[in-house]
Amino acid sequence: MGIVGDLLKTLDQMVNDQFDSIEFKNFLAVPLTLERGRFYVVQNALYTSNRRDCWAYVQGGAPLEVKRVIWEHESDELINDPRVGMDHYALTVKQGEVIGLKPEDFEKAEIPSMVRACFYAWHHIAMHNHWLTAYTASHMLERRNNGKIVKDGGMSYRVGKKFENELGINLKRMISLDVHVVADTEHSENISEMFERYVKTAEDRDLVLKGARDSMAIDRAYRGALGYYMEQIK
Amino acid sequence: MGASDSDIEALWEELVRLCNDQISTPPFARLLSQKFTRARAQQYSIQMAYYVQNRRDCWGYVQGSAPLEIKKIIWQHEEDELIGRKSEGKQDHMTLAVKEGEVFGLSAEAFERTARLEGGEVCFSAWIRLAQRPWLEAIAGSAILEMRNSGELIKGGSLSYRIGEMLQRDLAIPMKKQINNAEHVVMDVEHAHLLMQVARRHAHGESERRAIVRGAQESLMIDRVYRGHLADMLEALP
Repeated sequence: MGIVGDLLKTLDQMVNDQFDSIEFKNFLAVPLTLERGRFYVVQNALYTSNRRDCWAYVQGGAPLEVKRVIWEHESDELINDPRVGMDHYALTVKQGEVIGLKPEDFEKAEIPSMVRACFYAWHHIAMHNHWLTAYTASHMLERRNNGKIVKDGGMSYRVGKKFENELGINLKRMISLDVHVVADTEHSENISEMFERYVKTAEDRDLVLKGARDSMAIDRAYRGALGYYMEQIK
Repeated sequence: MGASDSDIEALWEELVRLCNDQISTPPFARLLSQKFTRARAQQYSIQMAYYVQNRRDCWGYVQGSAPLEIKKIIWQHEEDELIGRKSEGKQDHMTLAVKEGEVFGLSAEAFERTARLEGGEVCFSAWIRLAQRPWLEAIAGSAILEMRNSGELIKGGSLSYRIGEMLQRDLAIPMKKQINNAEHVVMDVEHAHLLMQVARRHAHGESERRAIVRGAQESLMIDRVYRGHLADMLEALP
C-alpha cells in the first residue's frame, strides 16, 4: 500500500475511534427529550455555520485546483443542495419545525461557552495552518459522518436514530440529519480524492495527520460539551 | 442607530474618491507612464496572473468571516472568477489570464516556471493579512480593488482599461484580443457594487462605516506599493 493508501487507512481508523471516546459515548448516551432535541437542532445549525466559515478559510489557503473543489462543495452547503432544493442552513431551520422550533429560535440562539471555544479552535486550524492541515481538519468531520467508513453509522445517522428511537420521530422527517447521512458520504469521497494528488512525501502526510488529530480532538471536546449542556436540560 | 441613506451615500462618495485619487498617486502614475515592449508585456501578464490568484485567496478568507447571506454573495462572485459562467460560455479568470498570455507569445508553462515578483509576494501576504481581519475591514479591502477597476466609477477609465489602451498603443494588440483585460473592464463594473450591497445591510453605525473605510484605505496602500513594484519591474526590462 502506498503513502496515500496507508494514510487513508489511518484516517478511517481515527474517525471510527472517535465513537469509542468518552466524550462521544457520553454525548450519544444522553437520553433525548423534546427540549434536549431542540437544543441539539439549534446547536447543529450553529455548527453548520461554523463549517461554512472554516471551508471558506480553507478555500482561501488552498491551491487553485483545490479551491475549485471546495467551491463546488460549498454549492450544496451554502447555495442549494439539489437533493432537497435548499441550502443546508435553511434545511436545518426547516428540520426544526418537526420539533416545534421557529426561525427566530435559530436567530436568537447563543453559542454556549465551551462550544464557542471549539468553534474558535476550528477557525484557528482553518486559517492559520498549512492548507493540507486546514483541509484535512474540515474534511475529517465529513469523513466521521460517512457511513461507508464508520462502522454502525456516522454521527448524523446515529443522532437521527436517537430521534427516531427516543422521540418517535422518523429519520426521514429529520431532513437535515437524513440528507447528511448521504451528502457527507459523497462530500468526503470527493474531497478525499485530493489526497491522491497532493500527498507525495512524508512531510505532506504529517501535515494531513496533524489536521486530522487536531480536528478530531476539537470534535471530541465539542461533542463532550454538547452532552454536558444537554444533561443540564431537565 | 441605523444608517440613513445620506450616511451610505457619503460612504460611497468617499470610497469612489479614494479610488479616483489612487490612479493619480506617484506609483500608479509611474506604472501608467511606462511603454510596453513584448518582454515587459509578458512579465506584466504573468505577474497579473499571480495577482488574480491572490485575489482568490483573499476572497476565500473574506467569505469565511462574513455573515451567511454575505458568504452567498461572495460565493457567487467567485463563480465568475474561479469557475467561469459556464452557462454563458465564459471561462474562469485564471484560464483567461493564461490564454491572454498567448497574444504576448507566452506559453502556459511560462506562467508555471516564472516566479512571483519579490515585492509582489510581500504585498500578497499583506493583502491576505488584511483579508483575515474583522470581516467589514476584510471585505472592504478586497472589494475596493474592484471599485478601483470599474470604468463606471473611475474618471478616465479603470486600471485594466488604461493598461489595455497602453498595450494597444505600444504593441498594437487590440483590446478585444486582450481577453482577460477586456473581461475585467466589464466584470469589475458589476462587481464594484458588492461593497455597497454590504454597506446598506451592515454599515448601520459610524464604527462599521469607519471599518469599511479603514479596510479600503489599507488595501489601496498595499495596491500602491504593488503597482510601484510592477513599475520597477517594467523599468528594469528592455
